[in-house]
Amino acid sequence: MSFQPNIVAFLCNWCSYTGADLAGTSRLKYASNIRVIRVMCSGRVEPTFVLKAFQEGADGVLICGCHPGDCHYHEGNYKCLRRYHLLEKYIEQLGMDKKRIHLEWISASEGKQFAELADDFTKQITELGPCKVKEVMENIKE
Amino acid sequence: MEETRIGVYVCWCGTNIAKMVDVEDVAKEVAKLPNVAIAKDYKYMCSDPGQDLIIQDIKEHKLDRIVVSACSPRIHELTFRKALENAGLNPYMFEMANIREHDSWVHTDRAEATEKAKALISGAINRVKWHESLDKRSVDVHPATLIIGGGISGISAAIEIADSGKKVFLIEKTDALGGTAAKLDLTFPYMYSAQQMIQPKIKKTNNHENIEILFNSELKDLSGYIGNFEAEVNQNGKEIKIEFGNIIIATGLKPFNPSVIDNYGYGKLPNVITSLEFEEMLKSGNILTKEGREPDNIAIIHCVGSRNQDFHEYCSRNCCMTALKFSNQISSALPNSNIYQAYADMRAFGKGCEELYTKTSRKNVIFLMFDQKNGMPTVKKAGPKDKCEMLIEMDEKLSGENVEVPADMVILMVGVEKQEKAKEVGQTVGISLCGNSFYIEKHPKLDPVATTTDGVYVVGSCQSPKDIPDSISQVNAAAARILATINKGSVTVEVTTAEVNEDMCCGCQTCISVCPYTAISFDEEKKVSIVNEVLCKGCGTCGSACPTGAIKSKHFTDQQILSQIEGLMFKSFELQEV
Repeated sequence: MSFQPNIVAFLCNWCSYTGADLAGTSRLKYASNIRVIRVMCSGRVEPTFVLKAFQEGADGVLICGCHPGDCHYHEGNYKCLRRYHLLEKYIEQLGMDKKRIHLEWISASEGKQFAELADDFTKQITELGPCKVKEVMENIKE
Repeated sequence: MEETRIGVYVCWCGTNIAKMVDVEDVAKEVAKLPNVAIAKDYKYMCSDPGQDLIIQDIKEHKLDRIVVSACSPRIHELTFRKALENAGLNPYMFEMANIREHDSWVHTDRAEATEKAKALISGAINRVKWHESLDKRSVDVHPATLIIGGGISGISAAIEIADSGKKVFLIEKTDALGGTAAKLDLTFPYMYSAQQMIQPKIKKTNNHENIEILFNSELKDLSGYIGNFEAEVNQNGKEIKIEFGNIIIATGLKPFNPSVIDNYGYGKLPNVITSLEFEEMLKSGNILTKEGREPDNIAIIHCVGSRNQDFHEYCSRNCCMTALKFSNQISSALPNSNIYQAYADMRAFGKGCEELYTKTSRKNVIFLMFDQKNGMPTVKKAGPKDKCEMLIEMDEKLSGENVEVPADMVILMVGVEKQEKAKEVGQTVGISLCGNSFYIEKHPKLDPVATTTDGVYVVGSCQSPKDIPDSISQVNAAAARILATINKGSVTVEVTTAEVNEDMCCGCQTCISVCPYTAISFDEEKKVSIVNEVLCKGCGTCGSACPTGAIKSKHFTDQQILSQIEGLMFKSFELQEV
């Protein structure tokens, strides 16, 4: 079987999760690799969550929040953005390709954009191939 | 953890889920997961029998946690929490897996969609294991209401609420009430006078003892939550602070500006006017060209800015019937004139509207159809030999012929669009706009009046283009909701706030710097952070920033989310490599 990446997506409740719901109600079609975790705000996404996903076997991690200025909690998405840039540097230090993580703003009306993003990101991760973090960590344990 | 007994329910949603996901296989497979006491599939989990199934199983099988995999939690999370409560369980011992909007509706491979459903449910099972009982919090409701916008919707809402003896603050950006409806002459389909309807309402609003109108005002800032809002209003540069329990947004619409469409010559040809300008003319009692002459030929062009990919894709819903109304008014006032209707599609839905169309088509009105995509009419100045001011060239769709329509006056049926500051108002209040920049309601079918922010309601054309009866229906629904909450005196609010573990807090105060609600303060004596539960809205930003893990975002704890991530990596037992 060809490589099917595992992708974990953290979606904020107010904009992005609703946008993903809209993709559903609009019956748009996209790759089935994305597994969504709902958080109230993208500001809740701890770097630990992202690293945990890779440790558990994710090949890519997507984070989506409200567009700048639209955050339900005023500025949680800005906090998320700042952490994201640090996280990019951090995973590069670990020897991973920073393209394995991606942050995108998806509003409640952007179902189409979410579906396209899901496809594009799945394609990008498929091209990068399997992430070795889980395997390496299991080897270390042994 | 060993004693935890989880009940898992996989919904078919008729064929919505069952068509793309093998729900029976999913239920069988997830039943094998640790701590799952029972796993069932059922046609409609949200139905009464579906909920009863959960309630019975909780009692019979001593379940202490429930997972329902069905539609989006944004639709039925509260329904199922209620069912848990009815069975005597804490409503927060529940988690939903979204296998419809995020799975069956968006995927095309049944095996893949089934596998994904299992993974999503496995994540939910892992998460629910760590759920904790949370108590609901009840807050008092301030009996005043804020209404933004003084058009027909805003003032109708104000009167509805104020008549029941409750205080209303009405913010209007201009210096007069009435909005767009006050600019109309007659209304379709029954030709009632708009002025006779709206003027008494304006007068009543202006003189009502329970309504405080703030003219020339804009909402600057909003804080608080359902039952207890506080706003800063800017009135002519002066800051005013008001307190209230609920909000109605009734900011209405703006007419489309047709000068951006070159074909129609608006702004260049003096006798090309908009439908609202024609309303003014009808109100004045004289239909005259700019030169002061009665027009012999009047052409009405439909769908200006509406139902057109280049401008607005949506239907503005009022223009077709207004155009028919114009035809009737013109044919009464100028019985010898020729009236032409250039339309793309005649949309006559609603009470009395099809009848208006039939009645108008029997008059001396010529209907000509055009294609919005490839055949937009072009208005041009007539030549010296023509017996009219202008000529409209168009491909008549039904006859297939290219025709020239004479016109001395052209009325453009302009569509409607969002208000200039719709986005700013939405951001201040905390509600989102749809792709067409109208406010998004809580649920398009089941709750088209409320919004995702509790205590905030949307009525009238700011939610989507509407005629007056539809706006008034929405207004009355919102007013009834608000009066019910005020009457009850209290509402229950979410308790998913943050909490500090004082033993782990190192006093670095990072949380204080990231909190958008100044809900966290520092206890100088204990040297730890303290969360004010009333101010905290549960975004969880502090929890992510805390370097020692001392802050817990209730119902979104680290443990719950980390465990969910583990669960999401589920692979069917048969697919697992041995």
